[in-house]
Amino acid sequence: MAVNLEVKIGSLTMRTPVTTGSGTFGFGSETKDLVDLSKLGAVCVKATTRERRLGNPPARMCETASGVLNAIGLQNGGIENYILEKLPYLRQFDVPIIVNVPGESPDDFAYVARRLTESGGADAIELNISCPNVSHGLDYATQPHLTAEVVAAVKAVTDLPIIAKLSPNVTDIRPIAKAAEDAGADAISLINTVIGTAIDARKRTFKLANKTGGLSGPAIKPIALLAVYRVAQTVNVPIIGMGGIMNATDAVEFLLAGATAVAAGTVNFVNPLAAIEIADGIADYLEKNGFTDVHELIGAVQ
Amino acid sequence: MIRKRTATIVSVQALAAPGHYVLTFDDPETARDARPGHFIAVGATTPANAGSSILRKPFSIYKVDPDAGLCTILFSVYGPTTSTMALYKPGDKLDFLGPLGGRVFDADPQAAVHHVMVGGGYGVPPLNFLAKTIKAANPSAKVTLIYGARSANLLVGDDGLREAGVEIIACTDDGSLGVKGRVTDGLAPLLAPPILGAGGASGGACVYTCGPTPMMRAVAELCMAHNTPCQVSMETPMPCGIGICVGCVLKKADGTFSRTCTDGPVYPATEVTWQ
Repeated sequence: MAVNLEVKIGSLTMRTPVTTGSGTFGFGSETKDLVDLSKLGAVCVKATTRERRLGNPPARMCETASGVLNAIGLQNGGIENYILEKLPYLRQFDVPIIVNVPGESPDDFAYVARRLTESGGADAIELNISCPNVSHGLDYATQPHLTAEVVAAVKAVTDLPIIAKLSPNVTDIRPIAKAAEDAGADAISLINTVIGTAIDARKRTFKLANKTGGLSGPAIKPIALLAVYRVAQTVNVPIIGMGGIMNATDAVEFLLAGATAVAAGTVNFVNPLAAIEIADGIADYLEKNGFTDVHELIGAVQ
Repeated sequence: MIRKRTATIVSVQALAAPGHYVLTFDDPETARDARPGHFIAVGATTPANAGSSILRKPFSIYKVDPDAGLCTILFSVYGPTTSTMALYKPGDKLDFLGPLGGRVFDADPQAAVHHVMVGGGYGVPPLNFLAKTIKAANPSAKVTLIYGARSANLLVGDDGLREAGVEIIACTDDGSLGVKGRVTDGLAPLLAPPILGAGGASGGACVYTCGPTPMMRAVAELCMAHNTPCQVSMETPMPCGIGICVGCVLKKADGTFSRTCTDGPVYPATEVTWQ
């Protein structure tokens, strides 16, 4: 029995409800030996900024219990490099491309969004207003009016679907999600990493050169699930759920909490095929439990 | 060609060095494709310790036997992954990505140079692979391994080198074997100023090093002082091993950050910023 896995994120159609988490899958070409991108619901590429960014000094990553702490610092070649060097590979595949865009001002976000629109470089834009590893990165997603300002600035320059990626490092995420929706966001990504640190008792130093980092992996799944559930009760736009998804069961939990799609993030480091295998696993779950459509799961746990 | 593999383990043997093991697995394609400097990223946890570590861990290829289709790695137990690997039995499966590495050791076996491997701790295995590769291509090549440890019982990774005609110089902190001192004490006498001919350096040494970063830094600085070419195989934690996380970077001399997994792990010593 065939089951329907297709979902829509605004005007974007995803063949499966599973994309990759930005920053956990490079720009798609790194895994060319292993992954046929056309089998993904979408490819969300690494953060792309207006200008080239060198990123943070090492050490940039360390493991914690059931998680990974990272402070990469948005290393990337900049938007023009993305269009010239990264896009041609991605466009060989029949798969929607989501480009994650950070910025230090509404103008920055709008500039990159405009270049992506002009160049056909994206099928949707994920606004990274919540990266904990760069100055200003967190600020936008901690205030409803700042979130709205960025979303509105980008909506003014593009017709591409706009996904606002929000931070869990706030008192209450709901008003921020509502502000993004009211400003025209077509979807919400939940969650970005949880800010934290790690200390080396033997060396008596911070483990990361940046001192703080963003925590991802199974350790943050309960935080992410609650954010998805709460925001699903608050907004009408679709949610892309992420945070600690390692397998299809985790993904189903996010759908049940109210996510329309999910992103496989840290798990890509372990298994670059995770987004494909998780989609297959969701199909198995639907079949085994007598469902025919993934929409039957979305928000089913109230 | 990177592959995701579940290979059958042929043997796991404890070495005399406490906590050190060699593991051999059956994978003809990896045995055929691996070059000195390549590594694999192993995922190995049990349900009991899976939560404490989710990332794969990198291990340099130590030996290959393309005819038998076998590969060997050497590891020491320091966390959940290696603890699990130490308990593997023949017939168990090894889950890995490989062979990994964008730039591996670059040696010309025919060059009239002295190939000097300088290794520390479990940095020796890829140098063993390189030394044997050079000797197999040119039996008359002059190849030396200098390796160091705190004490003689911790020296690992020299299997089969004497038989291959590689000269071995041990350096131990406590003087229990070979030179009392560090690998740089064993290396310095070999770095006579090269004779500059029309084609550049000839008759001098080419150094290849792998081990703890402070050791490699000392080796690199000694080589640079002698104008001796030196290739370093960098030891950084590698969360993914395939270039997607950008977490394993080192700072290059030009100020940019380089992914050691795909831009390395081997670099000319002059490209690295030694901090």
